[in-house]
Amino acid sequence: MTAVGEMGVSEVGVEAAAALREILARAVGGSPVASYTTEQPLPWTTLQGGGWDLLGAPEEAGGAGATLRDLVEIARVWGWSVVPSPLIPTLMAKRWSAAAREYQGPVTVAVPTRTSGNLGVAPFGLEPGVRLLMGTIDSDRLVDIADAGDDGYAPSLRLTETSMVTELSPEAAAEMGVVWAAEAAGCAARMLTDAVAYAKERQQFGQPIGRFQAVKHQLADAHLLAEQAETAAIWASLEPTGSRTAVLYCFDSSLRVIETAVQVHGGLGFTWEMGLHMYLRHVSALRELAAGLPR
Amino acid sequence: MTSTEMTAQAIDHARFRQEAERWLAENVSEEWREHRGALHEDDETRIRADWDRTLHKGNYAGLSLPVEYGGQGMGLAEEVIFHELAARAQAPDGLGRIGKILTAPTLIAHGTEHQKATFLPPIMSGDHVWCQGFSEPGSGSDLASVTCSAKRVEGGYLVRGRKTWTSYSRQAHRCLLLARSDDQAPRYRNLSLLLLDMNAPGVEISAIRQISGSQHFSETFFDDVFVSDEDRVGEEGDGWRMAMTVLANERGAIEGITRYVEIRADMNLLQQCCARPGEAAEQLQELDARVELVRWQVSKAVARQHDLQAFLRASMVLKVMWSELWQELTSLAAKLSCPAHRSHWRHQYLESRSATIYSGTSEIQRNIIGERVLGLPK
Repeated sequence: MTAVGEMGVSEVGVEAAAALREILARAVGGSPVASYTTEQPLPWTTLQGGGWDLLGAPEEAGGAGATLRDLVEIARVWGWSVVPSPLIPTLMAKRWSAAAREYQGPVTVAVPTRTSGNLGVAPFGLEPGVRLLMGTIDSDRLVDIADAGDDGYAPSLRLTETSMVTELSPEAAAEMGVVWAAEAAGCAARMLTDAVAYAKERQQFGQPIGRFQAVKHQLADAHLLAEQAETAAIWASLEPTGSRTAVLYCFDSSLRVIETAVQVHGGLGFTWEMGLHMYLRHVSALRELAAGLPR
Repeated sequence: MTSTEMTAQAIDHARFRQEAERWLAENVSEEWREHRGALHEDDETRIRADWDRTLHKGNYAGLSLPVEYGGQGMGLAEEVIFHELAARAQAPDGLGRIGKILTAPTLIAHGTEHQKATFLPPIMSGDHVWCQGFSEPGSGSDLASVTCSAKRVEGGYLVRGRKTWTSYSRQAHRCLLLARSDDQAPRYRNLSLLLLDMNAPGVEISAIRQISGSQHFSETFFDDVFVSDEDRVGEEGDGWRMAMTVLANERGAIEGITRYVEIRADMNLLQQCCARPGEAAEQLQELDARVELVRWQVSKAVARQHDLQAFLRASMVLKVMWSELWQELTSLAAKLSCPAHRSHWRHQYLESRSATIYSGTSEIQRNIIGERVLGLPK
């Protein structure tokens, strides 16, 4: 596929990112994060109706053939809003697996984490109709998720403990890590934008707090980290083998940006209503998932 | 750009890359590659000066500068590709750095035809080394407060005062000098940018010994040094605006990729030093990734060069990125204390302390990011 966008993004990536940005703005634009992450502002059926689940699937299999670089753009847009909908795991599962493509509904993956022992953790495991991809190595079949419960930590990811884990090939695992990292970079970009806007508006000692170097330099550092998180995700998508360090660095940097956003928001930053914690929860949970991916 | 144009460009870049790779393999001095860390300062200077001439002979000097001024007429992208390959080939950093990345772009943007024709070809050929006369003992971060004066006389100015942290001053033929040409005019409108001849009577240089023991910087004294009107860039009193162009270049993508050259080489050496996986393995891995991130960050800036705001967002972080990264790298190297390269790491550890100070301290950089990139109030 020929690149038309920045650093190898294809036409599919450019157009899909723009369209998704619009869909998300329509669904949640202006609403407080804390409210929409606990509701369902963008039902799965809307995304599926628009063919979004097949965005990353090969063209010969009826997909749009988005490249991994394209999916980084999509995931960054997605991370900006952290809408609680199973788009990212579904489009990755349908990218790799014919069985997943044959199924109309959402699909997720379960990865072992440090705290889950022999069990797996799957995002959106309680989504109505969701099925679990069992693997991309020997066979790619789907199973139902039995006896699952939401662990309650990240409302925008709805993590669920599963009794099985998905067997991902090293290539699929690397791709999943890159896309989750890009999602984290999108979260960081949003939190930096919000923190800067707040620092320009919030007055203390008779002036906007963003004028104080102690605050200004924290935000400058957050910009440095947000830039590097985005760059790391792009790099990882262009050189996915050996991208693990870049991916982990992307999560750490993104999380530090969000921590800074909480700090700059002062007392508001740690209220439930303000919703910044949704991003902290989202990115720290994604980091845990990515760390559990097979190498 | 259409997809056909993008493909054609990608093919051009691939061909350029292949040729440059071959050329570098044939031309990088073995003496430098093998003994880089332990060279006597005179040998280092000689090798770096030779490298400028070698670059010129090979048609790799001034890649992104126009052909009519001795450049190669290519773009920022080729410049970045070449410096990346140079890093891999362990090529030295030429002495012509100030001339190529500061003087040349400034003259191309603001210089007269005569200035361009006179000064650009010897910069490209490696015959003229330049130094930068901006900072003064009393004017560091507050650059607009310089007091080195350019007093009006017939046909030009007499420059009197003192500049400091002048790199390459002992090798330099010319100095890009910021001086106060008007005592009455308001701040930012009282400075002029001059092209001062370092061999003119009245120039005196006194080396500054740094904490590492090396002497890359000097203090430079000007005792009524004559500079003619034709060696002034732009209008009298317009020096601040010119200086800002210079600094924008200094902090830009080419500077970033040039710094990447040296840091990559240090990273490779550190990885050799720590060939056995030990307690520092995770730290080394992260540092290695961050070194590569400098390169990717430069590529991202280049990809965004036609959208000024996006370019600034990507490029303004480079100075802090590479300078603080280099310090962390040399701190770790000094701590791990690799016996085979101990003197190199001790030197680099001390030397790298300066990186967060020169070319705009990390504190000033963070002000710039906060104010110009994020739009926070001054």
